[in-house]
Amino acid sequence: MTRADKVLIAAVLLCALLGLVTIYRHFFISADQLLPTQATITVAGKVLHTIDLDPVGGNEMMQITGRLGPATVEVAGGRIRMREANCPEQICVKQSWIQAPGSTIVCLPGEIIIHIDGLAPVDAVTR
Amino acid sequence: MFSTRRLVYLSLLLAMATTLHVLEGLFPIPLPFPGVKLGLANIVTLLVLYLYDLRAAMTVAIARVLLGSLLGGTFFAPAFFLGLTGAVISTLIMALLVKKTTCFSPLGISLCGAVSHNLGQLLMASFLLQNQAIFFYLPILLLGAIPTGLVTGYLLQGLLERLKAAGILAELTRN
Repeated sequence: MTRADKVLIAAVLLCALLGLVTIYRHFFISADQLLPTQATITVAGKVLHTIDLDPVGGNEMMQITGRLGPATVEVAGGRIRMREANCPEQICVKQSWIQAPGSTIVCLPGEIIIHIDGLAPVDAVTR
Repeated sequence: MFSTRRLVYLSLLLAMATTLHVLEGLFPIPLPFPGVKLGLANIVTLLVLYLYDLRAAMTVAIARVLLGSLLGGTFFAPAFFLGLTGAVISTLIMALLVKKTTCFSPLGISLCGAVSHNLGQLLMASFLLQNQAIFFYLPILLLGAIPTGLVTGYLLQGLLERLKAAGILAELTRN
Protein backbone atom coordinates (compact mmCIF):
# COMPACT_ATOMS: atom_id res chain seq x y z
CA MET A 1 0.00 0.00 0.00
CA THR A 2 1.45 3.34 -1.03
CA ARG A 3 1.20 6.72 0.62
CA ALA A 4 -1.27 7.87 -2.03
CA ASP A 5 -3.47 4.87 -1.20
CA LYS A 6 -3.64 5.91 2.45
CA VAL A 7 -4.51 9.49 1.54
CA LEU A 8 -7.20 8.13 -0.75
CA ILE A 9 -8.69 5.91 1.97
CA ALA A 10 -8.72 8.82 4.40
CA ALA A 11 -10.39 11.06 1.80
CA VAL A 12 -13.15 8.54 1.03
CA LEU A 13 -13.70 7.92 4.74
CA LEU A 14 -13.92 11.66 5.39
CA CYS A 15 -16.40 12.17 2.54
CA ALA A 16 -18.56 9.30 3.81
CA LEU A 17 -18.57 10.55 7.41
CA LEU A 18 -19.23 14.17 6.39
CA GLY A 19 -22.08 12.97 4.22
CA LEU A 20 -23.55 10.90 7.05
CA VAL A 21 -23.32 13.84 9.46
CA THR A 22 -24.99 16.17 6.93
CA ILE A 23 -27.81 13.73 6.32
CA TYR A 24 -28.23 13.08 10.04
CA ARG A 25 -28.56 16.81 10.70
CA HIS A 26 -30.84 17.31 7.73
CA PHE A 27 -33.31 14.59 8.62
CA PHE A 28 -33.13 13.90 12.31
CA ILE A 29 -32.23 17.13 14.07
CA SER A 30 -34.70 19.22 12.08
CA ALA A 31 -37.46 16.77 12.96
CA ASP A 32 -36.81 17.47 16.64
CA GLN A 33 -36.88 21.20 16.11
CA LEU A 34 -40.54 21.38 15.15
CA LEU A 35 -42.66 24.23 16.37
CA PRO A 36 -43.72 23.83 19.99
CA THR A 37 -46.93 21.85 20.09
CA GLN A 38 -50.08 23.26 21.61
CA ALA A 39 -52.99 21.55 23.25
CA THR A 40 -56.50 22.93 23.37
CA ILE A 41 -59.02 22.04 26.03
CA THR A 42 -62.60 22.33 24.87
CA VAL A 43 -65.58 22.11 27.20
CA ALA A 44 -69.08 21.85 25.75
CA GLY A 45 -67.87 23.10 22.37
CA LYS A 46 -66.04 26.18 23.69
CA VAL A 47 -62.25 26.45 23.74
CA LEU A 48 -61.36 26.95 27.37
CA HIS A 49 -57.55 26.86 27.33
CA THR A 50 -54.68 26.73 24.85
CA ILE A 51 -51.54 25.36 26.47
CA ASP A 52 -47.98 25.16 25.12
CA LEU A 53 -46.60 21.66 25.56
CA ASP A 54 -43.01 22.54 26.45
CA PRO A 55 -40.90 19.35 26.34
CA VAL A 56 -38.74 20.61 29.22
CA GLY A 57 -41.50 22.25 31.20
CA GLY A 58 -42.42 21.28 34.72
CA ASN A 59 -45.67 19.91 36.05
CA GLU A 60 -48.75 22.04 35.75
CA MET A 61 -52.22 21.22 37.06
CA MET A 62 -55.33 22.84 35.68
CA GLN A 63 -58.74 22.70 37.25
CA ILE A 64 -61.56 22.79 34.76
CA THR A 65 -65.28 22.34 35.12
CA GLY A 66 -67.06 19.99 32.78
CA ARG A 67 -70.72 19.04 32.63
CA LEU A 68 -70.28 16.54 35.47
CA GLY A 69 -68.30 18.89 37.68
CA PRO A 70 -64.59 19.52 38.27
CA ALA A 71 -61.79 17.71 36.45
CA THR A 72 -58.00 18.02 36.67
CA VAL A 73 -55.75 18.20 33.62
CA GLU A 74 -52.01 17.68 34.12
CA VAL A 75 -49.28 18.93 31.77
CA ALA A 76 -45.70 17.70 32.15
CA GLY A 77 -42.68 17.15 29.89
CA GLY A 78 -44.50 17.91 26.65
CA ARG A 79 -47.34 15.53 27.50
CA ILE A 80 -50.86 16.06 28.74
CA ARG A 81 -53.39 13.84 30.49
CA MET A 82 -56.67 13.88 32.33
CA ARG A 83 -55.57 13.30 35.89
CA GLU A 84 -58.94 13.23 37.55
CA ALA A 85 -62.50 13.46 36.37
CA ASN A 86 -65.71 12.46 38.00
CA CYS A 87 -67.24 10.68 35.05
CA PRO A 88 -68.50 7.11 35.59
CA GLU A 89 -66.28 5.13 33.23
CA GLN A 90 -63.00 7.07 33.69
CA ILE A 91 -62.08 6.40 30.06
CA CYS A 92 -60.40 9.78 29.74
CA VAL A 93 -58.30 9.17 32.84
CA LYS A 94 -57.34 5.63 31.81
CA GLN A 95 -56.14 6.87 28.41
CA SER A 96 -53.28 8.49 30.35
CA TRP A 97 -50.66 10.68 28.65
CA ILE A 98 -50.86 11.87 25.04
CA GLN A 99 -48.12 13.82 23.27
CA ALA A 100 -48.23 13.26 19.49
CA PRO A 101 -49.82 15.99 17.34
CA GLY A 102 -53.32 14.94 16.39
CA SER A 103 -53.93 12.89 19.55
CA THR A 104 -57.13 13.49 21.45
CA ILE A 105 -58.57 12.66 24.84
CA VAL A 106 -62.36 12.82 25.01
CA CYS A 107 -64.50 12.73 28.12
CA LEU A 108 -67.90 12.24 26.60
CA PRO A 109 -70.08 12.57 29.72
CA GLY A 110 -68.12 15.62 30.86
CA GLU A 111 -68.09 17.12 27.34
CA ILE A 112 -64.34 17.75 27.66
CA ILE A 113 -61.99 17.39 24.70
CA ILE A 114 -58.21 17.67 25.00
CA HIS A 115 -56.66 17.86 21.55
CA ILE A 116 -53.01 18.30 20.56
CA ASP A 117 -52.90 20.59 17.55
CA GLY A 118 -51.36 19.57 14.28
CA LEU A 119 -51.63 16.72 11.88
CA ALA A 120 -50.97 13.19 13.05
CA PRO A 121 -47.51 12.05 11.87
CA VAL A 122 -47.61 9.98 8.72
CA ASP A 123 -46.95 6.25 9.14
CA ALA A 124 -46.02 5.63 5.53
CA VAL A 125 -46.41 7.06 2.05
CA THR A 126 -47.17 4.96 -0.99
CA ARG A 127 -47.19 6.02 -4.59
CA MET B 1 -9.29 -6.47 -33.55
CA PHE B 2 -7.47 -8.48 -30.93
CA SER B 3 -4.87 -11.01 -31.98
CA THR B 4 -6.01 -14.62 -31.69
CA ARG B 5 -3.81 -15.22 -28.67
CA ARG B 6 -5.19 -12.19 -26.87
CA LEU B 7 -8.74 -13.06 -27.89
CA VAL B 8 -8.35 -16.47 -26.25
CA TYR B 9 -6.94 -15.02 -23.04
CA LEU B 10 -9.61 -12.32 -22.92
CA SER B 11 -12.30 -14.96 -23.43
CA LEU B 12 -10.93 -17.01 -20.54
CA LEU B 13 -10.75 -13.90 -18.35
CA LEU B 14 -14.31 -12.98 -19.37
CA ALA B 15 -15.47 -16.46 -18.38
CA MET B 16 -13.78 -16.01 -14.99
CA ALA B 17 -15.30 -12.56 -14.52
CA THR B 18 -18.78 -13.87 -15.39
CA THR B 19 -18.35 -16.78 -12.98
CA LEU B 20 -17.29 -14.45 -10.16
CA HIS B 21 -20.15 -12.08 -11.01
CA VAL B 22 -22.75 -14.86 -10.85
CA LEU B 23 -21.25 -16.60 -7.81
CA GLU B 24 -21.20 -13.34 -5.92
CA GLY B 25 -24.88 -12.80 -6.70
CA LEU B 26 -25.62 -16.14 -5.04
CA PHE B 27 -24.00 -15.14 -1.76
CA PRO B 28 -25.21 -11.69 -0.70
CA ILE B 29 -23.30 -10.02 2.11
CA PRO B 30 -25.43 -10.29 5.27
CA LEU B 31 -25.62 -6.53 5.83
CA PRO B 32 -28.81 -4.48 6.04
CA PHE B 33 -27.63 -2.25 3.18
CA PRO B 34 -28.62 -3.30 -0.34
CA GLY B 35 -25.98 -2.59 -2.97
CA VAL B 36 -22.95 -3.27 -0.77
CA LYS B 37 -21.04 -6.21 -2.23
CA LEU B 38 -17.46 -7.31 -2.70
CA GLY B 39 -17.20 -6.74 -6.43
CA LEU B 40 -15.02 -9.78 -7.07
CA ALA B 41 -15.58 -9.52 -10.82
CA ASN B 42 -13.82 -6.17 -10.65
CA ILE B 43 -10.59 -8.09 -9.97
CA VAL B 44 -10.69 -9.40 -13.52
CA THR B 45 -11.49 -5.98 -15.03
CA LEU B 46 -8.55 -4.49 -13.18
CA LEU B 47 -6.29 -7.42 -14.11
CA VAL B 48 -7.13 -6.88 -17.79
CA LEU B 49 -6.30 -3.19 -17.36
CA TYR B 50 -2.91 -4.10 -15.92
CA LEU B 51 -2.25 -6.69 -18.66
CA TYR B 52 -3.72 -4.91 -21.65
CA ASP B 53 -5.58 -1.66 -22.26
CA LEU B 54 -8.82 0.24 -21.75
CA ARG B 55 -10.48 -1.25 -24.82
CA ALA B 56 -9.87 -4.82 -23.68
CA ALA B 57 -10.97 -4.04 -20.11
CA MET B 58 -14.12 -2.25 -21.27
CA THR B 59 -15.00 -5.17 -23.55
CA VAL B 60 -14.59 -7.64 -20.70
CA ALA B 61 -16.49 -5.45 -18.22
CA ILE B 62 -19.51 -4.84 -20.49
CA ALA B 63 -19.63 -8.43 -21.74
CA ARG B 64 -19.38 -9.65 -18.15
CA VAL B 65 -22.39 -7.56 -17.06
CA LEU B 66 -24.37 -8.74 -20.11
CA LEU B 67 -23.56 -12.43 -19.57
CA GLY B 68 -23.98 -12.17 -15.79
CA SER B 69 -27.42 -10.62 -16.14
CA LEU B 70 -28.47 -13.27 -18.67
CA LEU B 71 -27.35 -16.03 -16.29
CA GLY B 72 -28.87 -14.31 -13.28
CA GLY B 73 -32.14 -13.44 -15.00
CA THR B 74 -31.83 -9.69 -14.52
CA PHE B 75 -31.24 -8.78 -18.20
CA PHE B 76 -32.70 -5.27 -18.80
CA ALA B 77 -33.96 -5.14 -15.20
CA PRO B 78 -33.07 -1.99 -13.19
CA ALA B 79 -30.20 -3.86 -11.49
CA PHE B 80 -28.71 -4.57 -14.92
CA PHE B 81 -28.57 -0.87 -15.84
CA LEU B 82 -27.12 0.01 -12.45
CA GLY B 83 -24.41 -2.64 -12.82
CA LEU B 84 -23.66 -1.64 -16.40
CA THR B 85 -23.26 2.07 -15.62
CA GLY B 86 -21.17 1.26 -12.57
CA ALA B 87 -18.94 -1.10 -14.55
CA VAL B 88 -18.40 1.36 -17.43
CA ILE B 89 -17.62 4.34 -15.19
CA SER B 90 -15.37 2.39 -12.82
CA THR B 91 -13.46 0.87 -15.78
CA LEU B 92 -12.89 4.37 -17.20
CA ILE B 93 -11.68 5.74 -13.86
CA MET B 94 -9.45 2.75 -13.14
CA ALA B 95 -7.97 2.90 -16.67
CA LEU B 96 -7.12 6.55 -16.12
CA LEU B 97 -5.39 5.73 -12.83
CA VAL B 98 -3.56 2.63 -14.09
CA LYS B 99 -2.29 4.24 -17.28
CA LYS B 100 -1.72 7.87 -16.22
CA THR B 101 -0.59 7.71 -12.58
CA THR B 102 2.12 5.80 -10.77
CA CYS B 103 1.42 6.66 -7.15
CA PHE B 104 -1.40 4.16 -6.51
CA SER B 105 -1.05 0.45 -5.76
CA PRO B 106 -3.75 -2.01 -6.89
CA LEU B 107 -5.45 -1.38 -3.50
CA GLY B 108 -5.97 2.32 -4.16
CA ILE B 109 -7.04 1.77 -7.75
CA SER B 110 -9.48 -0.92 -6.72
CA LEU B 111 -10.90 1.44 -4.08
CA CYS B 112 -11.34 4.15 -6.73
CA GLY B 113 -13.05 1.54 -8.89
CA ALA B 114 -15.45 0.66 -6.07
CA VAL B 115 -16.24 4.32 -5.36
CA SER B 116 -16.77 5.19 -9.03
CA HIS B 117 -18.89 2.07 -9.44
CA ASN B 118 -21.13 3.34 -6.63
CA LEU B 119 -21.27 6.81 -8.18
CA GLY B 120 -22.20 5.37 -11.56
CA GLN B 121 -24.88 3.19 -9.99
CA LEU B 122 -26.43 6.12 -8.15
CA LEU B 123 -26.29 8.31 -11.28
CA MET B 124 -28.23 5.66 -13.17
CA ALA B 125 -30.58 5.06 -10.23
CA SER B 126 -31.37 8.77 -9.96
CA PHE B 127 -32.02 8.83 -13.71
CA LEU B 128 -34.27 5.75 -13.58
CA LEU B 129 -36.18 7.00 -10.53
CA GLN B 130 -36.18 10.64 -11.72
CA ASN B 131 -35.19 11.51 -8.18
CA GLN B 132 -31.93 12.90 -6.78
CA ALA B 133 -32.71 11.91 -3.19
CA ILE B 134 -31.07 8.53 -3.85
CA PHE B 135 -27.70 10.29 -3.47
CA PHE B 136 -28.34 10.43 0.27
CA TYR B 137 -27.42 6.75 0.11
CA LEU B 138 -23.92 7.58 -1.15
CA PRO B 139 -22.19 7.91 2.27
CA ILE B 140 -23.32 4.41 3.25
CA LEU B 141 -22.13 3.00 -0.07
CA LEU B 142 -18.82 4.85 0.37
CA LEU B 143 -18.33 3.33 3.81
CA GLY B 144 -18.97 -0.07 2.24
CA ALA B 145 -16.65 0.66 -0.69
CA ILE B 146 -13.60 1.11 1.54
CA PRO B 147 -13.36 -2.47 2.86
CA THR B 148 -14.68 -4.12 -0.31
CA GLY B 149 -12.42 -2.08 -2.61
CA LEU B 150 -9.39 -2.82 -0.45
CA VAL B 151 -10.15 -6.55 -0.25
CA THR B 152 -10.49 -6.92 -4.03
CA GLY B 153 -7.38 -4.77 -4.53
CA TYR B 154 -5.47 -6.95 -2.09
CA LEU B 155 -6.59 -10.09 -3.91
CA LEU B 156 -5.46 -8.61 -7.23
CA GLN B 157 -2.09 -7.63 -5.77
CA GLY B 158 -1.54 -11.20 -4.59
CA LEU B 159 -2.69 -12.53 -7.93
CA LEU B 160 -0.29 -10.27 -9.87
CA GLU B 161 2.64 -11.29 -7.66
CA ARG B 162 1.89 -14.99 -8.12
CA LEU B 163 1.37 -14.66 -11.88
CA LYS B 164 4.70 -12.87 -12.10
CA ALA B 165 6.51 -15.45 -9.96
CA ALA B 166 5.07 -18.29 -12.04
CA GLY B 167 6.11 -16.59 -15.29
CA ILE B 168 2.51 -16.50 -16.54
CA LEU B 169 2.34 -12.72 -16.59
CA ALA B 170 4.90 -12.52 -19.41
CA GLU B 171 3.05 -15.24 -21.31
CA LEU B 172 -0.27 -13.45 -20.94
CA THR B 173 1.04 -10.14 -22.28
CA ARG B 174 3.11 -11.67 -25.12
CA ASN B 175 1.62 -10.62 -28.42
